[in-house]
Amino acid sequence: MTKRMIVATLSLAGIFVALYLLLYKLGIIGNLTCSIGSCETVNLSKWATFLGAPVAAWGVGFYFVMFGLSLVSLQDRHADSLGMSKALALVSGSGVAFSAWLTYLELFVIHAICQWCVVSAIIVSVIFVFALLDLRDRSSLAGVDSSALQNL
Amino acid sequence: MAAKPPSARSKDRRPNVVRSASTRPKGFYAILVLVAVLGASILAYTMTRKPSTAAAPASLAASAATAGPAQGYLIGKPDAPVKILEFADFECPACGRFATITEPDVRKNLIDAGLASLTFYDYPLPQHLNSQAASNAAACADDESKFWPMHDQIFGAQDQWNTQATDNPKPMFMSYARAVGLDMARFEACYDTRKHQKRIAANFAEGERRRVNSTPTFIVGDKQVANAISYDELKKMVDEAAKK
Repeated sequence: MTKRMIVATLSLAGIFVALYLLLYKLGIIGNLTCSIGSCETVNLSKWATFLGAPVAAWGVGFYFVMFGLSLVSLQDRHADSLGMSKALALVSGSGVAFSAWLTYLELFVIHAICQWCVVSAIIVSVIFVFALLDLRDRSSLAGVDSSALQNL
Repeated sequence: MAAKPPSARSKDRRPNVVRSASTRPKGFYAILVLVAVLGASILAYTMTRKPSTAAAPASLAASAATAGPAQGYLIGKPDAPVKILEFADFECPACGRFATITEPDVRKNLIDAGLASLTFYDYPLPQHLNSQAASNAAACADDESKFWPMHDQIFGAQDQWNTQATDNPKPMFMSYARAVGLDMARFEACYDTRKHQKRIAANFAEGERRRVNSTPTFIVGDKQVANAISYDELKKMVDEAAKK
Protein backbone atom coordinates (compact mmCIF):
# COMPACT_ATOMS: atom_id res chain seq x y z
CA MET A 1 0.00 0.00 0.00
CA THR A 2 2.82 2.37 0.83
CA LYS A 3 4.12 2.22 -2.72
CA ARG A 4 0.72 3.14 -4.12
CA MET A 5 0.52 6.00 -1.64
CA ILE A 6 3.86 7.27 -2.90
CA VAL A 7 2.57 6.99 -6.46
CA ALA A 8 -0.55 8.98 -5.51
CA THR A 9 1.44 11.67 -3.71
CA LEU A 10 3.94 12.07 -6.55
CA SER A 11 1.12 12.16 -9.10
CA LEU A 12 -0.53 14.99 -7.18
CA ALA A 13 2.77 16.88 -7.14
CA GLY A 14 3.11 16.19 -10.88
CA ILE A 15 -0.31 17.73 -11.52
CA PHE A 16 0.91 21.04 -10.12
CA VAL A 17 4.20 20.96 -12.06
CA ALA A 18 2.35 20.29 -15.33
CA LEU A 19 -0.32 22.83 -14.44
CA TYR A 20 2.35 25.48 -13.91
CA LEU A 21 3.73 24.88 -17.40
CA LEU A 22 0.21 24.82 -18.86
CA LEU A 23 -0.73 28.13 -17.24
CA TYR A 24 2.38 29.66 -18.79
CA LYS A 25 1.53 28.19 -22.18
CA LEU A 26 -1.97 29.64 -21.92
CA GLY A 27 -0.57 33.05 -21.08
CA ILE A 28 -1.98 33.12 -17.55
CA ILE A 29 1.50 33.21 -16.03
CA GLY A 30 3.65 35.82 -17.70
CA ASN A 31 7.13 34.52 -16.95
CA LEU A 32 8.40 31.09 -16.00
CA THR A 33 10.64 30.81 -12.97
CA CYS A 34 13.53 28.97 -14.53
CA SER A 35 16.88 29.23 -12.75
CA ILE A 36 18.41 26.35 -14.71
CA GLY A 37 18.11 25.88 -18.46
CA SER A 38 15.86 27.62 -20.95
CA CYS A 39 12.27 26.89 -20.06
CA GLU A 40 10.90 29.46 -22.47
CA THR A 41 12.89 28.15 -25.43
CA VAL A 42 11.51 24.69 -24.81
CA ASN A 43 7.95 25.77 -24.12
CA LEU A 44 7.78 28.04 -27.13
CA SER A 45 9.18 25.48 -29.52
CA LYS A 46 6.96 23.66 -31.98
CA TRP A 47 7.58 20.51 -29.96
CA ALA A 48 5.64 21.97 -27.04
CA THR A 49 2.43 20.97 -28.81
CA PHE A 50 1.36 17.37 -29.32
CA LEU A 51 -1.71 16.35 -31.35
CA GLY A 52 -3.02 19.89 -31.27
CA ALA A 53 -2.79 20.33 -27.50
CA PRO A 54 0.04 21.75 -25.38
CA VAL A 55 2.35 19.02 -24.09
CA ALA A 56 1.76 20.46 -20.61
CA ALA A 57 -1.97 19.74 -21.01
CA TRP A 58 -1.13 16.12 -21.79
CA GLY A 59 1.02 16.15 -18.67
CA VAL A 60 -1.84 17.44 -16.53
CA GLY A 61 -4.12 14.77 -17.98
CA PHE A 62 -1.54 12.04 -17.41
CA TYR A 63 -0.95 12.96 -13.78
CA PHE A 64 -4.70 13.21 -13.13
CA VAL A 65 -5.16 9.69 -14.53
CA MET A 66 -2.25 8.42 -12.43
CA PHE A 67 -3.59 10.15 -9.34
CA GLY A 68 -7.12 8.81 -9.85
CA LEU A 69 -5.87 5.32 -10.62
CA SER A 70 -3.63 5.22 -7.56
CA LEU A 71 -6.44 6.45 -5.29
CA VAL A 72 -8.76 3.76 -6.64
CA SER A 73 -6.03 1.16 -6.17
CA LEU A 74 -5.85 2.14 -2.51
CA GLN A 75 -9.48 1.19 -1.90
CA ASP A 76 -9.80 -1.99 0.18
CA ARG A 77 -11.49 -3.95 -2.59
CA HIS A 78 -8.59 -3.20 -4.97
CA ALA A 79 -5.83 -3.40 -2.39
CA ASP A 80 -4.54 -6.75 -3.62
CA SER A 81 -5.57 -6.32 -7.22
CA LEU A 82 -2.87 -7.42 -9.61
CA GLY A 83 -4.83 -5.75 -12.39
CA MET A 84 -4.56 -2.37 -10.70
CA SER A 85 -0.82 -2.85 -10.28
CA LYS A 86 -0.51 -3.70 -13.96
CA ALA A 87 -2.56 -0.63 -14.88
CA LEU A 88 -0.39 1.63 -12.72
CA ALA A 89 2.77 0.19 -14.25
CA LEU A 90 1.39 0.43 -17.79
CA VAL A 91 0.19 4.03 -17.53
CA SER A 92 3.30 5.24 -15.71
CA GLY A 93 5.44 3.32 -18.21
CA SER A 94 3.79 5.18 -21.07
CA GLY A 95 4.47 8.40 -19.16
CA VAL A 96 8.14 7.52 -18.85
CA ALA A 97 8.35 6.71 -22.57
CA PHE A 98 6.72 10.03 -23.51
CA SER A 99 8.94 11.87 -21.07
CA ALA A 100 12.04 10.16 -22.48
CA TRP A 101 11.05 11.27 -25.97
CA LEU A 102 10.59 14.86 -24.76
CA THR A 103 13.97 14.78 -23.02
CA TYR A 104 15.55 13.53 -26.24
CA LEU A 105 13.96 16.45 -28.12
CA GLU A 106 15.24 18.91 -25.53
CA LEU A 107 18.80 17.60 -25.65
CA PHE A 108 19.26 16.84 -29.33
CA VAL A 109 16.66 18.81 -31.29
CA ILE A 110 15.78 21.96 -29.35
CA HIS A 111 19.20 22.08 -27.64
CA ALA A 112 17.71 23.53 -24.47
CA ILE A 113 16.61 22.10 -21.17
CA CYS A 114 13.55 23.15 -19.21
CA GLN A 115 14.04 22.57 -15.50
CA TRP A 116 10.34 21.93 -14.90
CA CYS A 117 10.31 19.33 -17.67
CA VAL A 118 13.26 17.66 -15.93
CA VAL A 119 11.39 17.78 -12.61
CA SER A 120 8.40 16.17 -14.30
CA ALA A 121 10.62 13.52 -15.92
CA ILE A 122 12.10 12.67 -12.51
CA ILE A 123 8.64 12.49 -10.91
CA VAL A 124 7.26 10.18 -13.59
CA SER A 125 10.38 7.99 -13.41
CA VAL A 126 10.07 7.59 -9.64
CA ILE A 127 6.35 6.87 -10.04
CA PHE A 128 7.21 4.17 -12.55
CA VAL A 129 9.79 2.60 -10.22
CA PHE A 130 7.27 2.42 -7.37
CA ALA A 131 4.59 1.11 -9.73
CA LEU A 132 6.98 -1.66 -10.77
CA LEU A 133 7.82 -2.46 -7.15
CA ASP A 134 4.11 -2.61 -6.40
CA LEU A 135 3.58 -4.89 -9.38
CA ARG A 136 6.35 -7.16 -8.13
CA ASP A 137 4.76 -7.34 -4.69
CA ARG A 138 1.31 -8.12 -6.08
CA SER A 139 2.71 -10.71 -8.46
CA SER A 140 4.55 -12.53 -5.68
CA LEU A 141 1.44 -12.28 -3.51
CA ALA A 142 -0.64 -13.79 -6.29
CA GLY A 143 1.90 -16.63 -6.52
CA VAL A 144 1.73 -17.22 -2.75
CA ASP A 145 -2.04 -17.12 -2.92
CA SER A 146 -2.29 -19.83 -5.53
CA SER A 147 0.19 -22.09 -3.71
CA ALA A 148 -1.59 -21.46 -0.42
CA LEU A 149 -4.87 -22.43 -2.04
CA GLN A 150 -3.37 -25.65 -3.33
CA ASN A 151 -2.23 -26.53 0.20
CA LEU A 152 -5.67 -26.08 1.70
CA MET B 1 -9.71 -32.23 0.74
CA ALA B 2 -11.12 -29.94 -1.85
CA ALA B 3 -9.89 -26.35 -1.97
CA LYS B 4 -12.28 -23.77 -0.69
CA PRO B 5 -13.70 -21.45 -3.31
CA PRO B 6 -11.94 -18.07 -3.45
CA SER B 7 -14.92 -16.34 -1.97
CA ALA B 8 -14.52 -18.39 1.17
CA ARG B 9 -10.90 -17.50 1.62
CA SER B 10 -10.04 -15.79 4.81
CA LYS B 11 -7.71 -12.92 4.07
CA ASP B 12 -5.77 -13.31 7.29
CA ARG B 13 -4.74 -16.81 6.29
CA ARG B 14 -2.44 -15.45 3.65
CA PRO B 15 1.18 -15.52 4.61
CA ASN B 16 2.88 -12.17 5.09
CA VAL B 17 -0.36 -10.22 4.68
CA VAL B 18 -1.75 -8.32 7.60
CA ARG B 19 -5.16 -6.84 7.00
CA SER B 20 -6.37 -4.05 9.14
CA ALA B 21 -8.70 -1.12 8.96
CA SER B 22 -5.75 1.22 8.76
CA THR B 23 -4.34 0.15 5.39
CA ARG B 24 -4.45 3.84 4.43
CA PRO B 25 -3.04 5.71 7.38
CA LYS B 26 -4.60 9.04 8.13
CA GLY B 27 -1.15 10.52 7.67
CA PHE B 28 -1.37 9.70 3.98
CA TYR B 29 -4.40 11.90 3.46
CA ALA B 30 -2.76 14.62 5.50
CA ILE B 31 0.24 14.47 3.15
CA LEU B 32 -2.06 14.66 0.11
CA VAL B 33 -3.82 17.70 1.55
CA LEU B 34 -0.44 19.26 2.34
CA VAL B 35 0.83 18.71 -1.22
CA ALA B 36 -2.43 20.07 -2.66
CA VAL B 37 -2.38 23.19 -0.47
CA LEU B 38 1.31 23.76 -1.14
CA GLY B 39 0.94 23.31 -4.90
CA ALA B 40 -2.15 25.51 -5.11
CA SER B 41 -0.49 28.21 -3.00
CA ILE B 42 2.62 28.27 -5.19
CA LEU B 43 0.51 28.44 -8.35
CA ALA B 44 -1.63 31.22 -6.90
CA TYR B 45 1.51 33.12 -5.93
CA THR B 46 3.07 32.81 -9.38
CA MET B 47 -0.16 34.00 -10.98
CA THR B 48 -0.35 37.12 -8.86
CA ARG B 49 3.27 38.09 -8.26
CA LYS B 50 5.04 40.84 -10.12
CA PRO B 51 7.72 39.23 -12.26
CA SER B 52 11.28 40.43 -11.74
CA THR B 53 12.26 43.21 -14.02
CA ALA B 54 13.97 41.95 -17.13
CA ALA B 55 17.21 43.56 -18.17
CA ALA B 56 16.83 45.81 -21.16
CA PRO B 57 18.29 44.47 -24.38
CA ALA B 58 21.76 45.98 -24.70
CA SER B 59 21.03 47.79 -27.94
CA LEU B 60 17.90 49.35 -26.47
CA ALA B 61 19.47 50.23 -23.17
CA ALA B 62 22.22 52.07 -25.01
CA SER B 63 19.88 54.14 -27.11
CA ALA B 64 16.97 54.61 -24.70
CA ALA B 65 18.56 57.61 -23.01
CA THR B 66 18.71 59.54 -26.26
CA ALA B 67 15.68 58.04 -27.93
CA GLY B 68 13.36 60.96 -27.35
CA PRO B 69 9.66 60.73 -26.56
CA ALA B 70 7.78 57.47 -26.98
CA GLN B 71 5.67 57.15 -30.08
CA GLY B 72 3.22 54.30 -30.01
CA TYR B 73 0.94 53.05 -32.76
CA LEU B 74 -2.65 54.20 -32.43
CA ILE B 75 -5.77 52.40 -33.57
CA GLY B 76 -9.12 54.10 -33.10
CA LYS B 77 -10.12 57.71 -32.70
CA PRO B 78 -7.43 59.93 -31.17
CA ASP B 79 -10.11 61.60 -29.05
CA ALA B 80 -11.74 58.39 -27.88
CA PRO B 81 -13.06 58.73 -24.32
CA VAL B 82 -10.84 55.94 -22.98
CA LYS B 83 -7.28 55.25 -24.00
CA ILE B 84 -5.84 51.75 -23.75
CA LEU B 85 -2.06 51.53 -23.74
CA GLU B 86 -0.51 48.17 -24.54
CA PHE B 87 3.15 47.33 -23.94
CA ALA B 88 3.90 44.17 -25.85
CA ASP B 89 6.63 42.01 -27.27
CA PHE B 90 5.99 40.61 -30.74
CA GLU B 91 7.61 37.33 -29.77
CA CYS B 92 5.85 36.77 -26.44
CA PRO B 93 3.25 34.01 -26.72
CA ALA B 94 0.80 35.71 -24.35
CA CYS B 95 0.96 38.85 -26.52
CA GLY B 96 0.36 36.70 -29.58
CA ARG B 97 -2.61 35.08 -27.97
CA PHE B 98 -4.09 38.45 -27.05
CA ALA B 99 -3.47 39.84 -30.54
CA THR B 100 -5.00 36.89 -32.37
CA ILE B 101 -7.79 35.80 -30.04
CA THR B 102 -8.88 38.72 -27.87
CA GLU B 103 -7.98 41.77 -29.91
CA PRO B 104 -10.46 41.18 -32.75
CA ASP B 105 -13.27 41.53 -30.19
CA VAL B 106 -11.58 44.59 -28.69
CA ARG B 107 -11.36 46.27 -32.07
CA LYS B 108 -14.92 45.42 -33.04
CA ASN B 109 -16.70 46.20 -29.78
CA LEU B 110 -14.57 48.90 -28.20
CA ILE B 111 -12.44 50.62 -30.82
CA ASP B 112 -14.72 50.55 -33.86
CA ALA B 113 -17.60 51.49 -31.57
CA GLY B 114 -15.69 54.61 -30.53
CA LEU B 115 -15.56 53.64 -26.85
CA ALA B 116 -11.78 53.44 -26.67
CA SER B 117 -8.56 53.72 -28.61
CA LEU B 118 -5.55 51.43 -28.31
CA THR B 119 -1.92 52.48 -28.56
CA PHE B 120 0.69 49.77 -29.00
CA TYR B 121 4.17 50.32 -27.54
CA ASP B 122 7.12 48.03 -28.30
CA TYR B 123 8.51 46.26 -25.27
CA PRO B 124 10.91 43.67 -26.74
CA LEU B 125 12.17 41.34 -24.01
CA PRO B 126 15.86 40.41 -24.06
CA GLN B 127 15.29 36.66 -24.24
CA HIS B 128 13.36 37.03 -27.48
CA LEU B 129 16.11 37.43 -30.01
CA ASN B 130 13.90 38.25 -32.99
CA SER B 131 11.51 40.58 -31.22
CA GLN B 132 13.41 43.78 -32.01
CA ALA B 133 13.54 42.76 -35.66
CA ALA B 134 9.77 42.30 -35.56
CA SER B 135 9.31 45.73 -33.99
CA ASN B 136 11.59 47.11 -36.68
CA ALA B 137 9.51 45.51 -39.44
CA ALA B 138 6.28 46.80 -37.93
CA ALA B 139 7.72 50.31 -37.55
CA CYS B 140 8.79 50.25 -41.20
CA ALA B 141 5.27 49.25 -42.18
CA ASP B 142 4.02 52.27 -40.24
CA ASP B 143 5.91 54.48 -42.71
CA GLU B 144 3.24 53.46 -45.18
CA SER B 145 0.43 53.54 -42.58
CA LYS B 146 0.35 49.73 -42.49
CA PHE B 147 1.46 49.12 -38.92
CA TRP B 148 -1.71 47.31 -37.87
CA PRO B 149 -1.96 44.97 -40.87
CA MET B 150 1.73 44.17 -40.32
CA HIS B 151 1.12 43.75 -36.58
CA ASP B 152 -1.56 41.18 -37.39
CA GLN B 153 0.67 39.34 -39.86
CA ILE B 154 3.57 39.20 -37.42
CA PHE B 155 1.52 38.00 -34.47
CA GLY B 156 -0.51 35.63 -36.61
CA ALA B 157 2.60 33.77 -37.73
CA GLN B 158 4.65 34.11 -34.55
CA ASP B 159 5.81 30.50 -34.60
CA GLN B 160 7.27 30.90 -38.09
CA TRP B 161 9.80 33.62 -37.27
CA ASN B 162 10.42 33.47 -33.49
CA THR B 163 13.74 32.61 -31.88
CA GLN B 164 12.97 28.91 -31.97
CA ALA B 165 12.03 28.95 -35.65
CA THR B 166 14.92 30.90 -37.15
CA ASP B 167 17.90 33.14 -36.52
CA ASN B 168 17.14 35.05 -39.71
CA PRO B 169 13.54 36.27 -39.63
CA LYS B 170 13.94 38.82 -42.42
CA PRO B 171 12.57 36.60 -45.22
CA MET B 172 9.42 36.06 -43.18
CA PHE B 173 8.97 39.77 -42.53
CA MET B 174 9.55 40.45 -46.23
CA SER B 175 6.76 38.04 -47.10
CA TYR B 176 4.41 39.76 -44.61
CA ALA B 177 5.37 43.14 -46.06
CA ARG B 178 4.45 41.83 -49.49
CA ALA B 179 1.18 40.43 -48.16
CA VAL B 180 0.08 43.78 -46.72
CA GLY B 181 1.05 45.60 -49.90
CA LEU B 182 4.12 47.58 -48.85
CA ASP B 183 6.60 49.13 -51.25
CA MET B 184 9.16 46.36 -50.97
CA ALA B 185 12.26 48.41 -51.83
CA ARG B 186 11.31 51.07 -49.33
CA PHE B 187 10.48 48.51 -46.68
CA GLU B 188 13.74 46.63 -47.13
CA ALA B 189 15.82 49.81 -46.99
CA CYS B 190 14.05 50.84 -43.80
CA TYR B 191 14.42 47.37 -42.28
CA ASP B 192 18.10 46.99 -43.14
CA THR B 193 19.06 50.40 -41.77
CA ARG B 194 16.97 49.86 -38.62
CA LYS B 195 15.59 53.30 -39.27
CA HIS B 196 13.19 53.20 -36.33
CA GLN B 197 15.53 51.85 -33.70
CA LYS B 198 15.22 55.06 -31.69
CA ARG B 199 11.44 54.88 -31.74
CA ILE B 200 11.52 51.29 -30.52
CA ALA B 201 14.00 52.25 -27.79
CA ALA B 202 11.81 55.19 -26.77
CA ASN B 203 8.75 52.96 -26.53
CA PHE B 204 10.72 50.49 -24.46
CA ALA B 205 11.97 53.31 -22.21
CA GLU B 206 8.36 54.45 -21.75
CA GLY B 207 7.53 50.96 -20.54
CA GLU B 208 10.44 51.10 -18.12
CA ARG B 209 9.25 54.47 -16.88
CA ARG B 210 5.82 53.00 -16.24
CA ARG B 211 7.39 50.05 -14.45
CA VAL B 212 6.28 47.51 -17.02
CA ASN B 213 8.00 44.23 -16.35
CA SER B 214 5.81 41.67 -18.02
CA THR B 215 4.20 41.44 -21.43
CA PRO B 216 1.61 42.23 -22.41
CA THR B 217 0.85 45.01 -19.95
CA PHE B 218 -2.26 47.13 -20.36
CA ILE B 219 -2.84 50.56 -18.92
CA VAL B 220 -6.39 51.86 -18.90
CA GLY B 221 -6.94 55.06 -16.99
CA ASP B 222 -5.19 54.64 -13.67
CA LYS B 223 -5.25 50.85 -13.82
CA GLN B 224 -2.27 48.80 -14.98
CA VAL B 225 -2.55 45.07 -15.46
CA ALA B 226 -0.06 42.50 -16.77
CA ASN B 227 -0.69 39.36 -18.83
CA ALA B 228 -3.11 38.55 -21.62
CA ILE B 229 -6.35 39.59 -20.02
CA SER B 230 -9.68 38.52 -21.46
CA TYR B 231 -11.99 40.74 -23.46
CA ASP B 232 -14.41 40.88 -20.52
CA GLU B 233 -11.67 42.07 -18.16
CA LEU B 234 -10.54 44.75 -20.58
CA LYS B 235 -14.12 45.83 -21.23
CA LYS B 236 -14.66 46.16 -17.48
CA MET B 237 -11.56 48.34 -17.18
CA VAL B 238 -12.74 50.51 -20.07
CA ASP B 239 -16.22 50.85 -18.55
CA GLU B 240 -14.75 51.86 -15.19
CA ALA B 241 -12.39 54.38 -16.80
CA ALA B 242 -15.28 55.86 -18.80
CA LYS B 243 -17.22 56.54 -15.61
CA LYS B 244 -14.41 58.58 -14.08
